[in-house]
Amino acid sequence: MRNHTFQRRTFLRGLGVTMALPWMETLPVWGDDASTSTKRPNEPPVRLAVLFSGNGFHAGQWWAKGVGKEMTLGPVLESLTDFRERLLFINGLYNAEALKGNIHSSQTGNLLSGAPLASGGEIRSGTSFDQLVAQHYGHSTKVPSLVLGCERSNPGIHKNYSMLYSSHISWSSPTAPTPLELYPALAFDRLFKGEGERGDRGVLDAVLGEASRFRGKISTSDRQKLDEYLNSVREVEQRLEQASKQGELQGWRPTLDKPNVPRPPDGIPQNLADHMRLMCDILVLAFQTDATRVCTLKLNNDHSYLQFPHLNVAVGHHELSHSDRGKMSPDWLKVNQFFLEQFAYIARKLDAIQEGERTALDNSVLMYLSSMQTGSHDASNLPCVVVGGGGGRLQGGRVLDYASQPNRKMCSLYLSLLDKFGIRLKEFGDSNEHLAEV
Amino acid sequence: MKTYFVAFRLVTAFSLAVFLSSTGTSATEPMPDPFAGMADEYRTLTRPLLQQFCLECHSTAKQEGDLDLERFAALADVRRGTKAWLKVVEMLDNGEMPPAESKQPSPEQRKQLRGWVERYLHAESLANAGDPGSVVLRRLNNAEYTYTIRDLTGVDLDPAREFPTDSAAGEGFTNAGNALSMSPALLAKYLDAGKEIARHAVLLPDGIRFSQFTAQRDWTNEMLLKIRQFYRQRVEIVDLGVGTSVGLMNLHGDCRLGEAGKLPLEKYFAATLAERAALRSGEKTISVVAAERGLNAKYLGLLWTNMDATEPSPLLDGLRSRWRDAKPEDAAALVTEVAAWQRGLWAFNVVGLMGRKGSGTQWQEPVSPFVVQQEFRLPIPAAKEGEAAKEVVISLVVGDCGDGNEQDFVVWHQPRLVADKQPDIFLRDIPELKGIDPATFGKHPSGKSLDAASLCVRAPSVITLRLPGTIAAGRTLVTTAALDSEAGGDASVQPDVVLGEAEVKSGLMVATTTATLSTVTALYPDHRTVSYQKPVLVAEEGAASKTFAAAMEAHRQLFPISLCYPQVVPTDEVLTLTQFHREDEHLVRLLLDEAEKREIDRLWDELRFVSQDPLKLAAVLDSLVETTKDHPQDGGFNEAVKPFHQRADVFRQRLIDCEPKQLDALIDFASRAFRRPLDEQAVEDYRSLYRKLRSEELSHEDAFRLVLARIFVAAPFLYRFESVPDGASSAQVSHSELASRLSYFLWSSLPDEELRAKAAEGTLGHPDVLEQQTRRMLKDPRVRRLGTEFACQWMHIYDFPATEAKSVQLFPEFEELRTDMYEESILFLTGLFQNDAPLLGLLNADHTFVNERLAKFYGIAGIEGESWRRIEGIQQHGRGGILGLAATLAKQSGASRTSPILRGNWVSEVLLGEKLPRPPKDVPQLADTVSDGLTERQMIERHSSDAACAKCHQRVDPLGFALEGFDAIGRRRKQSQTGLAIDTRTKLADGREIDGLAGLRSYLLEQRRNAVVGQFCRKLLGYALGRETQLSDQPLLAEMQQKLAENGYRTSTAVLAIVQSRQFREIRGRDTPPSAGR
Repeated sequence: MRNHTFQRRTFLRGLGVTMALPWMETLPVWGDDASTSTKRPNEPPVRLAVLFSGNGFHAGQWWAKGVGKEMTLGPVLESLTDFRERLLFINGLYNAEALKGNIHSSQTGNLLSGAPLASGGEIRSGTSFDQLVAQHYGHSTKVPSLVLGCERSNPGIHKNYSMLYSSHISWSSPTAPTPLELYPALAFDRLFKGEGERGDRGVLDAVLGEASRFRGKISTSDRQKLDEYLNSVREVEQRLEQASKQGELQGWRPTLDKPNVPRPPDGIPQNLADHMRLMCDILVLAFQTDATRVCTLKLNNDHSYLQFPHLNVAVGHHELSHSDRGKMSPDWLKVNQFFLEQFAYIARKLDAIQEGERTALDNSVLMYLSSMQTGSHDASNLPCVVVGGGGGRLQGGRVLDYASQPNRKMCSLYLSLLDKFGIRLKEFGDSNEHLAEV
Repeated sequence: MKTYFVAFRLVTAFSLAVFLSSTGTSATEPMPDPFAGMADEYRTLTRPLLQQFCLECHSTAKQEGDLDLERFAALADVRRGTKAWLKVVEMLDNGEMPPAESKQPSPEQRKQLRGWVERYLHAESLANAGDPGSVVLRRLNNAEYTYTIRDLTGVDLDPAREFPTDSAAGEGFTNAGNALSMSPALLAKYLDAGKEIARHAVLLPDGIRFSQFTAQRDWTNEMLLKIRQFYRQRVEIVDLGVGTSVGLMNLHGDCRLGEAGKLPLEKYFAATLAERAALRSGEKTISVVAAERGLNAKYLGLLWTNMDATEPSPLLDGLRSRWRDAKPEDAAALVTEVAAWQRGLWAFNVVGLMGRKGSGTQWQEPVSPFVVQQEFRLPIPAAKEGEAAKEVVISLVVGDCGDGNEQDFVVWHQPRLVADKQPDIFLRDIPELKGIDPATFGKHPSGKSLDAASLCVRAPSVITLRLPGTIAAGRTLVTTAALDSEAGGDASVQPDVVLGEAEVKSGLMVATTTATLSTVTALYPDHRTVSYQKPVLVAEEGAASKTFAAAMEAHRQLFPISLCYPQVVPTDEVLTLTQFHREDEHLVRLLLDEAEKREIDRLWDELRFVSQDPLKLAAVLDSLVETTKDHPQDGGFNEAVKPFHQRADVFRQRLIDCEPKQLDALIDFASRAFRRPLDEQAVEDYRSLYRKLRSEELSHEDAFRLVLARIFVAAPFLYRFESVPDGASSAQVSHSELASRLSYFLWSSLPDEELRAKAAEGTLGHPDVLEQQTRRMLKDPRVRRLGTEFACQWMHIYDFPATEAKSVQLFPEFEELRTDMYEESILFLTGLFQNDAPLLGLLNADHTFVNERLAKFYGIAGIEGESWRRIEGIQQHGRGGILGLAATLAKQSGASRTSPILRGNWVSEVLLGEKLPRPPKDVPQLADTVSDGLTERQMIERHSSDAACAKCHQRVDPLGFALEGFDAIGRRRKQSQTGLAIDTRTKLADGREIDGLAGLRSYLLEQRRNAVVGQFCRKLLGYALGRETQLSDQPLLAEMQQKLAENGYRTSTAVLAIVQSRQFREIRGRDTPPSAGR
């Protein structure tokens, strides 16, 4: 196994420049090649999917009780009933930094990192845990991660925080939110399009050399921005290289080597349900073909304006979340259930893929999160459900309630989950503890 | 002496502290230390207050809310952490600190603390005034990228349509560098987009242009269209109808002659007639008359000279004499006369046949209807069945052509009646012949004898013959007219044979010409026959022949039947070797000036180059030769082969010869795209990539397009690089960088040619030039982008149609209307800048922009059609300004109902720049018992009565209640959805009572003007600089606000203050820490 970091540095030295590598620096214990320590060559890899929807869930309808087969689920989670034995319902976790700022944006942009968020006109969060996993796996799959969305982000600043935060939970570096793909067809292309066209490599080489010549002439802080560009160019080049080597990989082979469905049509489907369904299909296809092992799917923004005419609901998401009147709000419940059904759909499809003795669901960690408990901006107890076997390392069928525990940080959960991917960190975000139970 | 009237925002919530700073500053006097006395005051008064009320929580150990005030031991420490003091002000003014349950300072103590912090911050703002600040390297955002591409290519491409949406930072705009990150996924999209843009490049002989299309056929069509437009702008298109009959392989029979491009001659004649006196007297010149009447001066002059001429011309004399007597209304008759002769002097060829054996080379061919003899065959109708044959009258007519008749003796050779299989009957031999003395036959008027059956007359002459029907009916009269052998070279006559009686006058009659191709299977164009009516008979090589030839040529030169071949592409033949036919020498000669001539030559050259016409034709020809082998047409194309192949070879060589020029153009293009001159290394870099790609066996065109694509992925294109001065001091940016700052501020795109030129000559930095350029740019249509990118983002309606949706059940009309609502907003906001309108119009404008749909929606009658127009008096309809725009009202509403909270919050935060305290963590839910019998307002009033919420809602909600007269899509209403009465009267937080939009408007204009204007200045400055405004911007903001007030709030005042400011014109030194000034 080659060390990816080393490769990159060699390359950069070749350009005669030294540059900051922001996302490398976020990994204090990087170095031992985790992929050898976590999986034998013939074993399927563990995949990570994080699903997100904003504005929280129905008050009083998001709950789980009992153990294993005896577990009962609140109405919002009903669609997950079949997966009770592989489900972790986690209650009581929070992000300390998310309590500091204002509402919405400042509660979302650091959901997966626990990092402090810059306010005012600045933008800074932290590398998110899903992207850490992606950077860990990046060199072994065609794309390091797939970050999908079903709602376009909002420009503007809300309550002194850029609304970029309310639509980006994945961050490749503290200053670079990972762009979301909204177009199913383009997400599909990203996974399955060929090695590029003749001359692409020459062009990329040329722009790389050109940009690095500018490095010396600009300010130190601008260099960081330019390095985002240089790293991106290099990564696209590597991807082209990777694509031309497809099929040479040794060891475990995915059950599908190319997509078994046609490329989705161009554009964004009119109907939200169709859009979400296509994105779920692409996520599953990406895992099944091992085109990537990390996928984050933002079903909507926090502060979402999505509409649900297909559910006969006349009110938008954010507004619904504020009109939650308990049992008097069947529309809000309907919409909550619709989101969780997407999650269940992915679980069901993955469970139908047999990978040796286990299913793809057994080899996955699927997580569903929101940035607040209910529509009333309370981020002190975040909704969180995990489904999947984590490659045999995750014990489902349990309700874990940390509400009254001293260690109840979301980042502790991330530390525990990172273990499942062979990334053993002592600290992440605001936590230096694992959740022993996970 | 300059006095700062400082409108000091200090990021406070509601107390916009405005105070007058009497600190006099001038360039010569040293500025008094703004911090004078502050250190002592901090130590003795301020610090103890902090200790007493704040440090318990905000100590170095506790740092609650991430705020450590203990570290500020002395003023020097304070000055290293200015940002914390902005927070202190915010907390004090919002009444959030100290917390209610803690010990509270007395009003005097509070005043002391607040006052000191305010004075300190003001001093700090002056100390660093003009600091350009830390501006993060900016990538072009999607809009800037798109506008830049459009301005570069001149084509409305939309390459960023599938890019991730941009986010905002700085003052809330998408042009702030820290919101514009890069990623592999985005870079891959840039590469794809770059290649896609490159596909739109059309390679030309001397460079490139861009097209909306990506296929050669479309590019060819674009060129065709341009050429046709060039013609159409100058001539009238007249359909010539069906003309010459042709056929090839029986593919078709009749063929259309196509369209002629004619001058509106009648207007020209009318002009010469109406202005005759003025022109003669010199009162008006030709160019004045032409300009007044929208005519081409060159041609008008020619016509005038020709009509006014006196040298004799047999064809034009008659026209001139009638012109001299004509009144303006007689112009049409003159045109008719001209047109009649055109039919005699021109014939048409089949363009599609050109290039074939025996074909012509011109579409319109000059013909001269003169002959040495003319045979006539006049069929005489047979008698109707059952009727007795009537007497037949035939006239033998000879005109004298109007040039004297001294020698005009003509012989009617053996006039006779002929019929099939019957002997000819000479007229001389018909005893019943009337109308002529039989003795005239065989006799010259001079007395000498000639052929016994022939007649000789002197023109002008008419012999009217009456023949008995019994003999003549059904036969054909045949005779040949020829000049008498003794007639001299000056002789010229016009013979004609007609049925019936005729007259003849001295003078020239109009001749006509007919060209015919017979329809046969194997046909070449040389089977054409030309015949004339009333041709001129002249002696070969005689003087008359020369005179008439010259006269006809003069007519053709002045009145060509068509000025050009306007359709360019022949449609008169299926199998053709002519793709494009250029025939416009008359147009060029009669109408065009030198620049126009170059233009049409260039268009044609580009057409042939882009279509690769010579290569295409050689290929077509080869296949034609192949398919006509062993066919009756075999050989029909052989003659053409060699020249066509030669032309193709020449063209191939030309393509190669053009490659270096195209590459040079690419380098120029890169320099324009990068907004900077390319250094030698960069130029070589581009050339070497091209060579490398060629060495990988890519064709010139493929390699060229990839190098072009590279430009659009290159860092100097995607990023707005600026050179950084060494050291820690700020310095002015270069002229070309200033040009870019200016153009990206006002146009969201690259500098145009004029701006580049000012930068190149190094004058842009001069304040007068900068002002003049800024004013020019504000008037330019591209300032719409400032209206969109700045103003719509500020108003939170950016990309409204894509981001705003309403319940389809409740508001089915919204989907169609939302684009109109957005367009109205863009036009309205753009107008503020483009018309240099008063900023206060933002609130109190009495105009707006509508099309039919939006007008109907607003209840305004009498507006029809899709087009947008400005209308006045909108306040009568309860609107006016941004408070009454459907887009802003709808945006700040829910999907199904209005939201006074959102609207009020919008007024407070967006228009007034207030910052509200953070909402409580757990907003109480609305009670289950809320019934549906409440208006939106009533529901909110219940909700907001909760103590935890009331603090903010008391401030925000009343502002929104004032706009309750508009529903969730911005339509005026008197009743709620459920039929309840709407109440727009409201009591503001300060106790003031207002009613409706008008009340809110005057409150904002009168009571809160400084806040609104200040917010505008802050937002505009943040947008211009691409960063959040900072403390050291306060003096500039104050200056902007003051200048606005002094200049009737004209928006240009604010824009100019920004572009002339140090912030805008300077860049921080390399060694300035990025956090400085924050």
